[in-house]
Amino acid sequence: MARHLNTIPGRLVLMLLLIHALLMPPLFYVISSTVERTMKDSFIDNVRNFAQVFVDRFDRLEADVTEQRIIELLDSAMLSGQGSYAAIEVGGRTVGSSLMNVQDAGLFREDFAFGEHDDDVYYLSLPVSGLAEPAVLKLGYDESPIHEDLVAVRLTLIYVLSAYLLLTLVVAGFMSATIVSPLRWLQTVSRAISSGDVDRELKPDSRLEEISALADDLERMRRNLVGINARLKEEIAERAQAEADRRQLEEQAHHHERLRSLGTLAGGVAHEFNNVLQPMVLYLELALEDLPADSPIAENLLRVQELARRAKGLSQQILTFSRHDSDPRFVTENLAPIAEEAVTMIRALLPATVDLRIDINPDCSPVKCAPEQIQQLLVNLCNNAHQALSDDAGYISVSLGEVQVSDQLASRHSQLDAGQYVLLEVQDTGMGMDPATQERIFEPFFTTHEVGKGTGLGLSVVHGIVERHDGEITVESKPGKGTRFNIFLPCDGRGEQSR
Amino acid sequence: MARILIIDDEEDVRIALKQVLERAGYEVSVAADGPEGLDLMKEEGADLVITDVIMPGIDGIAAAKKIRDMYRDTRIIVMSGGGMIAPAPYEPDAISTRSYLASASRAGADRTITKPFDRHELLQVVQKLLEES
Repeated sequence: MARHLNTIPGRLVLMLLLIHALLMPPLFYVISSTVERTMKDSFIDNVRNFAQVFVDRFDRLEADVTEQRIIELLDSAMLSGQGSYAAIEVGGRTVGSSLMNVQDAGLFREDFAFGEHDDDVYYLSLPVSGLAEPAVLKLGYDESPIHEDLVAVRLTLIYVLSAYLLLTLVVAGFMSATIVSPLRWLQTVSRAISSGDVDRELKPDSRLEEISALADDLERMRRNLVGINARLKEEIAERAQAEADRRQLEEQAHHHERLRSLGTLAGGVAHEFNNVLQPMVLYLELALEDLPADSPIAENLLRVQELARRAKGLSQQILTFSRHDSDPRFVTENLAPIAEEAVTMIRALLPATVDLRIDINPDCSPVKCAPEQIQQLLVNLCNNAHQALSDDAGYISVSLGEVQVSDQLASRHSQLDAGQYVLLEVQDTGMGMDPATQERIFEPFFTTHEVGKGTGLGLSVVHGIVERHDGEITVESKPGKGTRFNIFLPCDGRGEQSR
Repeated sequence: MARILIIDDEEDVRIALKQVLERAGYEVSVAADGPEGLDLMKEEGADLVITDVIMPGIDGIAAAKKIRDMYRDTRIIVMSGGGMIAPAPYEPDAISTRSYLASASRAGADRTITKPFDRHELLQVVQKLLEES
């Protein structure tokens, strides 16, 4: 109930009820009392006029009038109007109408106002001079019809006032509805907006000035908020992106740092290793020279020499990874023929059953590169891809093209600057790698193959070659789906910067 | 017969190189470090010096520079094991062989050669340099 009172229609109805409760009783009282007074006054006037008519009649009677005639006159007085009592007192004797109840004969009490004596009869007495002796005419008129009329008037008044009240309430209800319904609509839309549907417009079709002004203000506020909201969202997204980029760059820097220190370590080991290998190689050659060719010792020494050659190869791979190999020959050339040559080599190395797909764009910009190293890189990546293919199903694809590195992409890779790059891609549909493996693939001697199958240096060498070319290598891989290596090499001849 | 001076702190490198070069018919003397090598140059002189790049005392580059300054006609070969070379091995700011060899060339070395090389490679380089002088 209290809840209904705190609504606009509730308040309006309550206000109207209070106003009417205060105003209607006095109004009712004033109207009904005015009507009552008027009715009573006119009753008394009528009664007195009637009475005067009969006084005149009695005044005109002859002195020798019979009692019969008097009674006839009194009877006619009874029959006129609402007569209920008619008698005449002549010389101490009272003669009454024959139409009057016997009991009524002694009831006369003179009234000086309407409703006196509570007998519902208005009694009056008037002197009559026409008779032989002084006489007083006594008449009584029924008051009850006036009472009944008054009740009817009051009832009518109540009906009229009630109808008025009801009509007022109906109109008030209707008026409040024209205020409330646009307000409710505003509320509905506001709720929709606050729960995320910010594009709803606040524009109710109300002609009420206050409501349309409120709606306009709210709509302006909404537009501002929507703008602020959009800007905030944008800002948050930008920040998140910047944070993600920063983290990625940090991780990359960390990764590069790690690989670089590994390179330093491995390079140092290789250096010492080469110092040991050097006299071994020479001693072997001297020893072999001293022995006859068919000596069984020579046979074993040849084997040792072969092993030394392998050791030299390993040490050279490590040095390539750590970018401390002796200066390769750098030229500025189109990569297409170099890649074609590598592909021919790779076809020869891989089993014929392997599906090797080639897509080399012959019109790429020239790149400053060491051709042997680029070929080595392709061979190593294809070898890696082949090892990822189980039972030679699936395919390996090698592609060469040119790309424009955007600022956005460059901002996420510490080794890339915005500009033109040649992009080498080696993709396989093999077993793929999980992120933990991807993290470590470029580390020397990190291998997922069983011991004895591969040295774990192939991808380290690839990494060293890419670094040497001032390029960037990225890996995309999904376990079970395959792997793609993207190698970006700068077109503007910035390759081979000593870092 | 041409005289060759070998400077290397590794004894086995010295011995092996000496044997190989002597068999090829050269006169060979050896020194374990830069100062010793410079003393020998003063005493005996040499047509060709083969020096390791990094040694205690005076390193190969400094030695090459001194020899180049004092003996215009002597040919110099600087050897390197590749990889990182620094007084304290494996330091992150170690100097790379490439930059070392580059500075060797600037210091006056005629040739740089990367270990491990075989006899054939070495004799080819030595012969070529001596023919040129």
